[in-house]
Amino acid sequence: MADSKKPRPAFAPWDRRELPGMFDVEETARRVGHYKWVEMRLFEALGGWVATVPELDVKLRLGTHCYKHAWHADLWNKRLPELREMNTERLTVPPNDEFVTFMDAITEPEGPDQTLEKLVGVYRVLIPHKIAAYTYHLNNTSTITDAPTMRSLRFVLNDEFEDWRDGEMLIQSLITDEADVQRAATHQARCEGLIVKAGGIAGPGSIGSTDVAVPEEVTA
Amino acid sequence: MKKILPPEELARDSRFVRLSMEDRFSDRRSPGGGGSTSGRTGPTKLTPDAPQAPDRARALMHGIFVGEIQALEGAGRTCWDFEVGPHFDEVPFALKLDMARQCWDEARHCEISIKLSEWMGTELGEFAESTFLYEAACNPDPVLRLTGVNRALEGLAIDVFNTMREFGQSAGDPVLEFCEDWMLADEVTHVKMGSDWLRRITEKDPDRRERALEFQRVVDKLFSLGGFRGEDDDSPIRLARKFREMAGFTHEEVDEISDLSKQARAEGEARLAQANAS
Ligand SMILES: [Fe+2]
Ligand SMILES: [Fe+2]
Repeated sequence: MADSKKPRPAFAPWDRRELPGMFDVEETARRVGHYKWVEMRLFEALGGWVATVPELDVKLRLGTHCYKHAWHADLWNKRLPELREMNTERLTVPPNDEFVTFMDAITEPEGPDQTLEKLVGVYRVLIPHKIAAYTYHLNNTSTITDAPTMRSLRFVLNDEFEDWRDGEMLIQSLITDEADVQRAATHQARCEGLIVKAGGIAGPGSIGSTDVAVPEEVTA
Repeated sequence: MKKILPPEELARDSRFVRLSMEDRFSDRRSPGGGGSTSGRTGPTKLTPDAPQAPDRARALMHGIFVGEIQALEGAGRTCWDFEVGPHFDEVPFALKLDMARQCWDEARHCEISIKLSEWMGTELGEFAESTFLYEAACNPDPVLRLTGVNRALEGLAIDVFNTMREFGQSAGDPVLEFCEDWMLADEVTHVKMGSDWLRRITEKDPDRRERALEFQRVVDKLFSLGGFRGEDDDSPIRLARKFREMAGFTHEEVDEISDLSKQARAEGEARLAQANAS
């Protein structure tokens, strides 16, 4: 057995966690507040839709997914005071008005003949954007200082992946002809256009920026 | 999407058939419906050797299934219908989280009752559906809604699941007993949610608490119809005193439901005697 008094590094050779991260406390709280807002709007809508969809399997999946997003909202609500935001309602806001317009479009379908639109908005537009923003956050925050947010992000992402798969399979089973393909594509394009205007679930910068600084002589 | 979805707009596939409350209780195939046997007026206790026990158990299970759908729909609408806030028509954030949790639980109850119905040889839609449960979930006052649904109707679910669990035991059906045991645990949780929120929200508003309890009495009375649920040995559905107290009912509150049931049974017997005499 190794000598227990022998000095060892605090970070084991396989532990590659780093300082700093891309987000300070204030920016993290801002993002987390937007996450809570969108999770709330989503679980409310899924709950409301349960009674409006005639397809039994969809009805039961929406009821199950409703809880998961409520749980995510609760995780973010509990994280906010840990990020020095004692009045959690203050940051429980959408990132901008464009995102409100987007969520209104997502929750607009109501009739029993609009299950496809309900599912497409959530599972082909909103949830992929959530996965993107959460992944960006997870990969760019400080793996040391922000470990609690990362832990929540991992739980949340696991749910999002599973629910996305459920939703996508339901959508595929509902699309049976060319007219359905067009319906799904039209609604997806409309919602996608709106979230692009909003910049994502946390506003512009939801998944960072892909702009690179190009030296002037090259552009000339 | 609008707030408060009326019961007639509940979305169903083509297998489902709607029935009014009155029709339901006079429908021989409905749980609690049907004629009288063994000297008791109104519905009789479900025992494995009772006449038509398999059919009655199948009808009861189908009734539970549609009740679970409506419980899911009602909890879901409570997530949607009310904003978070301190005002009369708003609810605390944690209440909405509870309702979302209930959605998940009720979705599982639907899954369980579908599997059990299949196991019992029942096809979905074989028995008619009435929307009584969801109707209580349309109350625009969130406290009245939670009291009517989570205390009266989910309280009835405690009684029903406990009765079915005992039926599973006596009929030697371990699968039925197992499922009812799990659903009973969830329903105790749901009733406790109702009891806790009623007390918390109306802590400084005794009038509102009384209105909510009165709404609960109306719903409880409706489901004591003809003595369908009670503490008599031959009651079709037995009042599950222990589990109700676990879920936040006081001893006196259970006594009150028991009295309501006795009264309903006496009224039912009087009606029948009158009908027979004329
Ligand atoms: Fe249930
Ligand atoms: Fe329940």
